Amino acid sequence: MNDLETSRQSEIPQTKPSKPKKPKRQLSERTIGYLLVSPALILIFAIAIWPVLQSFYFSLFDLRLNDPTKSSVNLNYSIDLDRYLSNYPFLIGGIESEIRNGNAVDELEEVKEKLQTLNQQIQTDPGAAEKYEAVNEKLNNFERVPDHLKLVEIEQQTSQNYLETIKGIQKDLDALRGQNEFKNIDKIVGLSNGLDDAIIKPNFIGFEHYQNNLTDKRMWKALANTVTFTVISVFIELVIGLAIALLINKAFFGRGLIRASILIPWAIPTAVSALMWRYLYDGQNGIIAKIFAEVGLVDEMSSLLTTSTGAMFSVIFTDVWKTIPYMALLILAGLQTIPKSLYEAAAIDGANKWKQFITITLPLLKTSILVALLFRTLDAFRVFDLIFVLTGGGPANSTETISILAYTVMFSQTNFGEGSALSVIVFICVAIISAIFIKLLGSELIKDGSAK
Amino acid sequence: MQKKAGPLFYVFLFLFVFVVMFPFLWMLITSIKPMSELFGEKAFMPFTDNPTFKNYASVFLDYPFLNYLWNSFVVASITTIYTVFVASFAAYAIARLNFKGKPIILGIVLSVSMFPQIATISPIYIILKNLGLTNSYLGLIIPYTTITLPLSIWILVTFFRKIPFDLEEAARMDGASLLQTYWRVILPLAVPGIFTTAILVFIAAWNEFLFALTINTAEKYKTVPVGIAMFQGQYTIPWGEISAATVVVTIPLVIMVLFFQRRIVSGLTSGSVKE
Repeated sequence: MNDLETSRQSEIPQTKPSKPKKPKRQLSERTIGYLLVSPALILIFAIAIWPVLQSFYFSLFDLRLNDPTKSSVNLNYSIDLDRYLSNYPFLIGGIESEIRNGNAVDELEEVKEKLQTLNQQIQTDPGAAEKYEAVNEKLNNFERVPDHLKLVEIEQQTSQNYLETIKGIQKDLDALRGQNEFKNIDKIVGLSNGLDDAIIKPNFIGFEHYQNNLTDKRMWKALANTVTFTVISVFIELVIGLAIALLINKAFFGRGLIRASILIPWAIPTAVSALMWRYLYDGQNGIIAKIFAEVGLVDEMSSLLTTSTGAMFSVIFTDVWKTIPYMALLILAGLQTIPKSLYEAAAIDGANKWKQFITITLPLLKTSILVALLFRTLDAFRVFDLIFVLTGGGPANSTETISILAYTVMFSQTNFGEGSALSVIVFICVAIISAIFIKLLGSELIKDGSAK
Repeated sequence: MQKKAGPLFYVFLFLFVFVVMFPFLWMLITSIKPMSELFGEKAFMPFTDNPTFKNYASVFLDYPFLNYLWNSFVVASITTIYTVFVASFAAYAIARLNFKGKPIILGIVLSVSMFPQIATISPIYIILKNLGLTNSYLGLIIPYTTITLPLSIWILVTFFRKIPFDLEEAARMDGASLLQTYWRVILPLAVPGIFTTAILVFIAAWNEFLFALTINTAEKYKTVPVGIAMFQGQYTIPWGEISAATVVVTIPLVIMVLFFQRRIVSGLTSGSVKE
């Protein structure tokens, strides 16, 4: 209270005569509201929404990180001056030295002339001229060429001309190679091949990745695996989770301990628990594999991780083990909000336990269950670490989910364009799932509680 | 519902907890077995005659495991502090102030929390690579915002809404400005909620796998989940060390969960239950 009073006093103008007080009070609640929300919104936009849009944009390009001519998004023809100027002068030099040695003088003179005409063309290209000099200077001083200088957009005409000329020169050189004794022919051919890569073609391909993916068996298999995994594991989790929540919804000794112990599978990193289960499922030394084999759940220990049904079963079993606690807790929290008086009234009316469950518990739990289902379904649908560590998507892609496939395409095959297309497909699926759930939930999820 | 819990109930409870905990207990046993007892018939023995701590020593001496722990700790802590800080303002505004577009903002937050990480990874990876931020702490802290910020706003809004409005009105009557009310009245009352959020955000950041796997590939910057998942022996998978490492990561989490279970549960269930 004292603090409040002093602060109130400080706002009376006389106490601070020199400075005019900032018009803090005039900021309306609305403005402050927007101000407070804006940092979070900006961050969310920059780190989540924009990348998703960018993913979509990438998916329209043939983007490959390990291929220098396709490593970025290019809408137009351009020339990599760094690459060009690292090759061109040496190529000319090499040709000149062969000429000096008297090898195929006429032919090489012709090649040299073609190259110089081409060089002239690039130098006089309105876009390239200035940067040409700058890059050349940097290279002469053995400095690194900054990215903004390196790439210059050029006319399609020029670039096609360029590629044709280089092709012609390569042919000429190849033809000469058989007839003469050159000193450095390999070097010269190598340099002329290097010039090829200096032209960067537009890699916009429209919806080709989507077309390819939608007709690709592997994509559909991955999608089917994802749906199988999601539906089965979420269903089992819901049924067992509900059962457990109903059972432990009573006062008993050691409640905190139980709660803590069922939280542990949830709290441990998924990757670590997946690795742990990989050991437990191990075909030779895994205790769970042994138990399952003895009980007759699987024919032999090794079939858990080496057959496709076994692997899918293992993955689902682990997911169920890990997330039942979460499910049970969410449902338990919902159960605890149901007033006891309802059950008492029902009991007086002669309703038995089952009837009470159907007419009171389930309808009142609807929201809790739907919310839990929504979050669990989405989590299961985008499953990555569990499967990546436990089976790696194998055996024979039988547990490969769509996220795993997208990761593999992006980071193992470094095909970012196609991988982005796959990730957009994941995004669309997730959007559809959430839309269905939110439709079922109505506006309850984002109701404005402050109006209460 | 039923008030009393019978003995059968406790038997069931014990079985349930045993099943849930069994994998951990087994890892604990495995971690103290000597190398020779990890394979063959002895692999299935629930005890060992020659307990050894060799696996634990190996985890810390032969692998950069301490380094992984430190990386995870740094990344998770900074992520937690900064997201909860940013989120607390946004959540306060959404929960307590009157302005237009709140349902839309909350809708955006909720939908972003549903984004699959794989859908953001290619641009984030390329941007971080161009900025030279792959293999750095910042390279993980930035993308972790996608996961943690919506989560913390979502939980905090629920907590802020629970604080009685009368207190705020009283403070305003006394002439406190909006921000003063926030700092002096609301925030102290919201500390438990903020703490709960921080625990959940910390766990989420500590456990994250996909970004950590793709962005920080250098041994020096790997986090615990990626580090353990990539444990490689020369010829076989080093299960002894892996079990020891699993135990080492699990124990702090067990302690944390034991201490904070009430808060964790309230955080997990907030927003999903109508009150």
